[in-house]
Amino acid sequence: MSVETTTESAPVPKKGMNILFGLILLGLLLLLWLLLGIFTNSFWTPNNISNLLRQGAMTAILAVGQTFVIITAGIDLSVGAVVGFASVTVAWLLAAGVPLWPAMAITLLIGVLIGAFHAFGIVRMGLPAFIITLATLTSLRGIGLLITNGSTISISNDAFTNFSRADFLGVPSLFWMVLVVAIPAYIFLHLSRWGRYLFAVGSNSEAARLSGVNVNRTIYLAYILSSTCAAFVGLLLASRIGIGNATQAEGWELQAIASSVIGGTSLFGAVGSVHGPLIGAFILATINNGANLLNVNSFWQRIITGALIIVIVYVDQLRRRGAR
Amino acid sequence: MTGLHDITQLHAEGHPVAKGQPILELRGLQKKYGAVEALKPANITFLSGEIHAIVGENGAGKSTLIKLLTGVIRRTSGEVFWCGQPVQLATPTEAIARGINAVHQEVVLCRHLTVAANMFLGDEMQSRGLMRKRAMTEAAQAVLNDLGFNLPAAAMLSDLTIGQQQLVATARAAMRGTQFLIFDEPTAYLTRQESAQLFRLIRRLQDEGVTIVYISHRMEEVFELADRVSVLRDGTHVGTRLIGETNDAELISMMINRTIEQIYHKEHLPIGETIVETRGLSGPGFENVSLSVKAGEIVGLYGLIGAGRSEFALGLYGRQPLSAGEVFWQGNRVTIDNERKAMDLGIALAPESRRDQGLCLNLPIGLNINLPVFDRLSNGLTINRRREIENADRQISDLKIKTPSRRVLASAMSGGNQQKIVIGKWLSHGAKLFIFDEPTVGVDVGTKAEIYRLFARLLEGGAGIILISSYLPEVYELSDRLHVFRQGKLVASHTYRSASHEEVLTQAIGV
Repeated sequence: MSVETTTESAPVPKKGMNILFGLILLGLLLLLWLLLGIFTNSFWTPNNISNLLRQGAMTAILAVGQTFVIITAGIDLSVGAVVGFASVTVAWLLAAGVPLWPAMAITLLIGVLIGAFHAFGIVRMGLPAFIITLATLTSLRGIGLLITNGSTISISNDAFTNFSRADFLGVPSLFWMVLVVAIPAYIFLHLSRWGRYLFAVGSNSEAARLSGVNVNRTIYLAYILSSTCAAFVGLLLASRIGIGNATQAEGWELQAIASSVIGGTSLFGAVGSVHGPLIGAFILATINNGANLLNVNSFWQRIITGALIIVIVYVDQLRRRGAR
Repeated sequence: MTGLHDITQLHAEGHPVAKGQPILELRGLQKKYGAVEALKPANITFLSGEIHAIVGENGAGKSTLIKLLTGVIRRTSGEVFWCGQPVQLATPTEAIARGINAVHQEVVLCRHLTVAANMFLGDEMQSRGLMRKRAMTEAAQAVLNDLGFNLPAAAMLSDLTIGQQQLVATARAAMRGTQFLIFDEPTAYLTRQESAQLFRLIRRLQDEGVTIVYISHRMEEVFELADRVSVLRDGTHVGTRLIGETNDAELISMMINRTIEQIYHKEHLPIGETIVETRGLSGPGFENVSLSVKAGEIVGLYGLIGAGRSEFALGLYGRQPLSAGEVFWQGNRVTIDNERKAMDLGIALAPESRRDQGLCLNLPIGLNINLPVFDRLSNGLTINRRREIENADRQISDLKIKTPSRRVLASAMSGGNQQKIVIGKWLSHGAKLFIFDEPTVGVDVGTKAEIYRLFARLLEGGAGIILISSYLPEVYELSDRLHVFRQGKLVASHTYRSASHEEVLTQAIGV
């Protein structure tokens, strides 16, 4: 397309810009893998790679759900608690003799209801997203602990617990679950009108409303998707550790938000993608994994993660400013 | 005595330049963005103590000029002389230190601080590291009283109207030893009374020796205030005139090469069937409004800001709940309780504020244009990419939106082009009744003319238009029927040009 001379000096966002940013992130991930391969003996072992993919997969799914919410200029702090609560729910249902598939379906449904409750609080009660999801974060942990009386419920269903250890085509089945979530998520966010509505609501909800977008429904959709992704991760976690425990997944909401932000999502809303948070999640998982292998104090991992967030978001800021 | 003049003296030394002598001279001042010449080499001289208006279409280079003078951007070439000395004006701090200041159209103050705190912001009175709040409030109040503004210095800024906030911003600039004050479209959001107050302040600053640069789209303001006027067109300084030696017609032709008759383009089309009729409609901010719109006619709603016109439009559009009254759509009684219902009937609303209601500013132009029609552009689950692109590009070329691509963010566009995006949204959706709320605020004369011609095109297509405006010449010249609103009520109705400007104005103000 030829750029005609206009009296305004409007910047033209290049179509390749997002792809370029994605490639930079991917390059960073590969660089990390390369360095860890050089400096450790155990990184490129099948066992470690499987482990990395399993851990990264769960953060990645949470990050995709979180991204939908952040694009609407909201935030979902409850996802870690939902993961723990979902693990308790499925363990409790299985222990009560509910068959596997209905137990999983009910757990996912509870995720839907939690998301709907968040949206209800935001849309009908006028609460800030930060507050309502913070409230459910602490309440869900409490309810989970009440149900389990503070202990854990072990899961004796072998079909369920074997799933997380299984491989498919040599790749951990947990990793395949990322694709199961990411492909529909990509179609939803980038190819369907509902995705466009998420961006419009995040940019200017009044303008979206006056253009006929059902803003309330869009907000319900975003929070329900986030909580459902979290409940799904709860199932995967329960399968992986073989227990239901309300205190599991502590701090995962921050991992999810960090992955999303590293992946180029703007906390001001209206900027984000599906592929960015996925790569972001695996970058975080790699850093944690590598730090373990290098015998770095686990306290340092937290510091490194924080520093990384600052650096990447700063680079992204420079990129945006440069485009302007 | 704490007059404005004394406070001015606190900061700046006396004027080294006598009244009527050049205070700021631009010699070959030029600004390029890459290959684009936003301002071609300009020679303009500002005389000490004058009110110098600058007019031009959007994109003519006015904002570039302001940014250069206030140190926000750096010039590509040319020289600037301040009081006869060459200066850099490389940073805003340097410009302010020399006494060059600007008051912007959008108020850039802290809404959660008091009026006094805003006036002293960055320059607080202190004693031993603590702020002297009461002293500041008293000093600010003295300045406000002295200026004749009836404003409490202790009030929160957010409790004031936009117009009052503008006055605070002006008082703030006046207090800081400003010798050269630039007003960028200050009256865009002001009521008449507030504008009058602002004009008094501007004249008073002039009396105290401050040089004023006044940028406006409104010709009558330029003629009311200015001593001289400079015209910019496409980045070129076309000329400077003494105000007594020129007239609207000459200025407009300098700006756009078009005459005033060609701007208010009014075609009298045959009036068709009634599209919509309201009977005794009431809701938040308006009461008992009965009116109708027929195919082929423009129904103008005139009144001061807050008179209930926009509220009526939002009520009719289903954005606000109605408390009483009935709406008839093509003869049938309908209930419009949400925006989608209004759209499905065939109502389109280009709302009052582009920034707050009209556009998703940080999203691409294309997405904005397609927002109301994504359901039509989708095949089942996904959007048809080709039709999405085609629709956006068609509106961009039909409306002559000046952008290299549909992917440019709406925020990068000028006021006129942003308004076209809002309109494009509704052209792609299609409607029988178009409601345009203040469609030409902050829009240049050329684009105005284009928008008016577009009205005629819509009417020819069998649509009806409700035109809401605070700009009397516009509603007066264009409306087949003109309704006057005051305090939420429809107080008078006129047919085309059946009342005088004065009559309509008196009805709107209610004296």
